[in-house]
Amino acid sequence: MSADNTFHYALSSNNAWAGYKAHQNPQFFPKLAGGQSPEILWIGCSDSRCPETTILGMQPGDVFVHRNIANIISPTDINTTAVIEYAVANLKVKHVVLCGHSACGGAAAALSDARVGGVLDTWLLPLKTVRFNHAEELDAITDEKERIMRIAQLNVEAGIKVLMNNATIREAIAERGLEVHGVFFDISCGRIKELGCGTAHAGKGDHVVRGKHGQLVFGQDGEAAIAAAQ
Amino acid sequence: MLSTRLGLSPLLHSSKQASSALSRLAVPRTTSTPLPRLRLTTVPSATPRRSFCSSHTADDKDRSKKDITMYLQETHDKVFENNKSWAAEQVAKDPDFFKKLAAGQNPEYLWIGCSDSRIPAEQITGLQPGDAFVHRNIANLVCNTDLNVMSVIEYAVKHLQVKHIVVCGHYGCGGVKAAMTPKDLGLMNPWLRNIRDVYRLHEKELDAIADEEARYERLVELNVYEQCRNVVKTAALQQSYAENGFPIIHGWVFNFRDGILKDLNVDFKTILKDIQKIYNLTN
Repeated sequence: MSADNTFHYALSSNNAWAGYKAHQNPQFFPKLAGGQSPEILWIGCSDSRCPETTILGMQPGDVFVHRNIANIISPTDINTTAVIEYAVANLKVKHVVLCGHSACGGAAAALSDARVGGVLDTWLLPLKTVRFNHAEELDAITDEKERIMRIAQLNVEAGIKVLMNNATIREAIAERGLEVHGVFFDISCGRIKELGCGTAHAGKGDHVVRGKHGQLVFGQDGEAAIAAAQ
Repeated sequence: MLSTRLGLSPLLHSSKQASSALSRLAVPRTTSTPLPRLRLTTVPSATPRRSFCSSHTADDKDRSKKDITMYLQETHDKVFENNKSWAAEQVAKDPDFFKKLAAGQNPEYLWIGCSDSRIPAEQITGLQPGDAFVHRNIANLVCNTDLNVMSVIEYAVKHLQVKHIVVCGHYGCGGVKAAMTPKDLGLMNPWLRNIRDVYRLHEKELDAIADEEARYERLVELNVYEQCRNVVKTAALQQSYAENGFPIIHGWVFNFRDGILKDLNVDFKTILKDIQKIYNLTN
């Protein structure tokens, strides 16, 4: 059997998906073609087990995405920086979410003293820095899985610090209340939890308004709903 | 897909699997499709419109701070609620789903796509968690000095041994559009420069297209093609291909108008032969 079968699998799945979506909502693709207005910028790991839109239970058009090895935020990386610039300054997303995850290969590599080779060691350098900055805490963890999980969480905290110092993000926080969140995806249970770093965690709980389950609506206007809620 | 993923022979994808995936997608899952989406009590309509260089609207200023706080809290909360339903749903379908996932990844694909929110790789291809290693950036670019994407390729090829690398662009790409605009875009300049370079490489063909929309769509395709070439130029790809006969490269373009992926039928072997005259890194 040739490699072509895997390839055709994805293409035929796409065909079925497009047909299904259009059948479910004939306006789905015309609306999608009209433009995007995502509210979330997701920065996560390239790991195949962390498909952001799927695990968030969201739809095409909802989440602007950057995924790299070990969700590292390197201040001078022009790739990530261009994504942030476009999402925050142009699309005006309301939330920036940096997500780490358990069993991260990059985190494991950073905890090892072996050289990975190629360009990866250079890319993983910020994670190595996290390791040495928290050597005492990490060394005290005897379980390897736990240690990998902990460094991945510390990596998110370090990434959040870089994000909070990004000029575009700082301006957006001051001007329009952009929120920055550090979260963690536990692959062993599929749940995302907040790490309590980033913006607006102090007053959490004061003005919580739980939403109601509803229909998938693109470009909905909720004016009437606001009045009802107040 | 999952059993194949965990099995020893990732190349063996039977047509049976493909058809089961088709039926999975074709039959509405009453419990899960679409996943419940929280309706917001406040309003996206009053938020700044997203166009290049949009500015704040008067509505924005009128909205009280309390409204904004509530709105942000809701948009934030809905993510966690959705995630909980999704996780519960997976466990209901397969109690060992997350146990298997936590055991490790063995993806078949490396997907290099655009950050655009409308193209979640897994959903549009019907692939499951664990199937595709994903990198997404502005306009799906593969630049040789970008350590970010180079690390992704190297890890996917050498360590995960993916069988396919897909570069997926899309018509209506804001990044490509921006690169066709004669304007200083600040921080975005160095990144978008790469697309202007693609234009220059195909200047003659593109200039001959009178219709601006058609020219723009063609640039999207040519950009995918050039990024495929850039993947082929990497040492990781050339060495793995010489040794194992994989991965192979595909160039796709997603069309929002019908949701269909178009295969550009990039001639991988010819590109490889062609570029190795100058970029041969197989030692």
